[in-house]
Amino acid sequence: MAMMTDTSPASVRGNHFLLHLIAALALLAIGGGYVLWEVFQFGKVQFNTTNAGIHWGLAIVTYDYFLLTSAGLAMVASLWHVFGLEEFRPVARRCLWLAMAGLIGGVAVLFLELGNPWIALWATPLNMQMASPLFWKVLLVGVYTILLAIVLFGMINKPDAGRNPLMMLVGLLALAITLVAGAVYGMMAMRPMWFGGEIPVVFLIESFMGALAFTVFFSHLKNGFSHGNMRPETRSLFEGTLARMFAISIALHFILHAGRAVTGLWSNAEGLQVWEYLVAQPMFHIALWGCVALPFVLMVLPATRSNGLMQVLASLLVMVGLLISRYEFIIGGQMVPLFKGTWAPDLLPYVPSTGEWALLVLAVGLANVVYAFAAWRLGAEDRG
Amino acid sequence: MPNWGMVIDLETCTGCQACTTACAMENSRLPGENWQDVLFYSEGEYPNLNISWLPRPCMQCENPSCVSVCPTRATYVDEGTGVVLVDWNKCIGCKYCMVACPYGVRFYMDEAPVVEPDVREAFPARGRRTWNPPFRMPDEYEDPSKGIGIQPSGVVSKCTFCHHKISQAPEGVADLDEDNPETREYTPACVRVCAPKARFFGDLDNPESKVNELIAEKGGVRLREETGNKPKVYYLSGGGSPVVPGSRSRRG
Repeated sequence: MAMMTDTSPASVRGNHFLLHLIAALALLAIGGGYVLWEVFQFGKVQFNTTNAGIHWGLAIVTYDYFLLTSAGLAMVASLWHVFGLEEFRPVARRCLWLAMAGLIGGVAVLFLELGNPWIALWATPLNMQMASPLFWKVLLVGVYTILLAIVLFGMINKPDAGRNPLMMLVGLLALAITLVAGAVYGMMAMRPMWFGGEIPVVFLIESFMGALAFTVFFSHLKNGFSHGNMRPETRSLFEGTLARMFAISIALHFILHAGRAVTGLWSNAEGLQVWEYLVAQPMFHIALWGCVALPFVLMVLPATRSNGLMQVLASLLVMVGLLISRYEFIIGGQMVPLFKGTWAPDLLPYVPSTGEWALLVLAVGLANVVYAFAAWRLGAEDRG
Repeated sequence: MPNWGMVIDLETCTGCQACTTACAMENSRLPGENWQDVLFYSEGEYPNLNISWLPRPCMQCENPSCVSVCPTRATYVDEGTGVVLVDWNKCIGCKYCMVACPYGVRFYMDEAPVVEPDVREAFPARGRRTWNPPFRMPDEYEDPSKGIGIQPSGVVSKCTFCHHKISQAPEGVADLDEDNPETREYTPACVRVCAPKARFFGDLDNPESKVNELIAEKGGVRLREETGNKPKVYYLSGGGSPVVPGSRSRRG
């Protein structure tokens, strides 16, 4: 982005990527080391795989969180690449590298969680089970990964090459992945907490909201968390259009999340009693009020919207809140036992194992390694 | 081709769990991980208490959601018998079928032992098997492509209606009945050992079968019809209360 006006010394703008990479590698070593030790020592049973009823645990929460964030980031990048919104040009390249970083972090966790991941590589595309949303999800993610990699390889040599027509496909695939990921849960009529045609839309909004949060956070990280170090056009984006988009997406997320909770509390249908449990938990309110309502207020009020630290705070809160919401959604949908008899508890207990937390650490570490290395060596960020 | 189905008479069933034990022996199940289980339900409080039980094999649905969701077609309906099977060579262990099964009848191998001590450690595995139980079925019966035998790691398993037996049944028979010497060997283990004769197994497409007669005359019902899965296991409950009380209705 050579044409842009530089307002700060090069030394304060984005020369910390090596440090970031070292920190990320440390995180990856801790999470990945623990995960691999457990897998080789005890097997994947350490990831809380159980027949009691919670079949998808924190590992799947992590995978979906990273995958949907990746898809959202590709959509944000498409605002410039596909729709030509010039305002988003300064963040488009960052978003695409972050999309790849998130994708790698999420898929790595999925591979570690799956029983036979290598069989999935050939058995899924070759058996063409078109009735399965997971078939489409795997297919779409595969093509998305390849196309995103092509776009990024093109950027390594020509970081300022302009809008890439291939991004039309990448953006479309990101949209489709998000909707299909929602359908994976929304189609489950036997699990009333998940069931509903609105779930793909919920996922779409959450994906976009999460992507905006990551864009804000990593843009500030790149500038040493100093608003003053930002290029004027980037600052203008974060105080204007992007902040408003962020606020609107947070509001939509609040409406859909709170609306589903209220509907669940009101209904007498078997399976929806899980909402009584979820709403009684402090985490639900931390996520809804602290990590959704508060960031909304921060992004709506002009004084806080234009404050860099408040932007960072809002983005961090949304990132955490989204993880909690996704956890509540995926785990909560399985908590009412199906055909286990009276001697099973009314709601199945679930606490993530140390191995599952390590998978989350691994995903965060790996995604940051990819991004920081790309920023340091592959031109993901302008350096000085 | 026969369309095998099962009828379970809840008025005759005593909840003795002989079916559970026979299934475990026949199919080399891990203790506590029962393809065929008997679920117990209690309603009310002492002294106004009612206890009921429900034998629950795989429902072998006509329109199975587990088959639809499987991304690799590892779960499929066997054309010769109409039974839902799992191809362990294709199963990726994503557990979507377990999530999508309304009846909770699927099992993943990689879990902490349900019953201690872990018998897998007492009978360590050779080759692809995850353990090597002394009571396993003859090796020649094992067929990983049908989910029959000792489960390998990282795959999902389920009741096969004793596919290795029923698939050998003489052509054209209406019922597989343990009282009939000609069909005894082909009768599923859970049906064969049922002491009060609460289980019947036959061809749902054959109008002469005993199972069809019972379903018609005694008002056979299927579980969770609202899901559209169309189970091929029918329950005879005397036309009384719902077979399975929901947890909300139990709480009153």
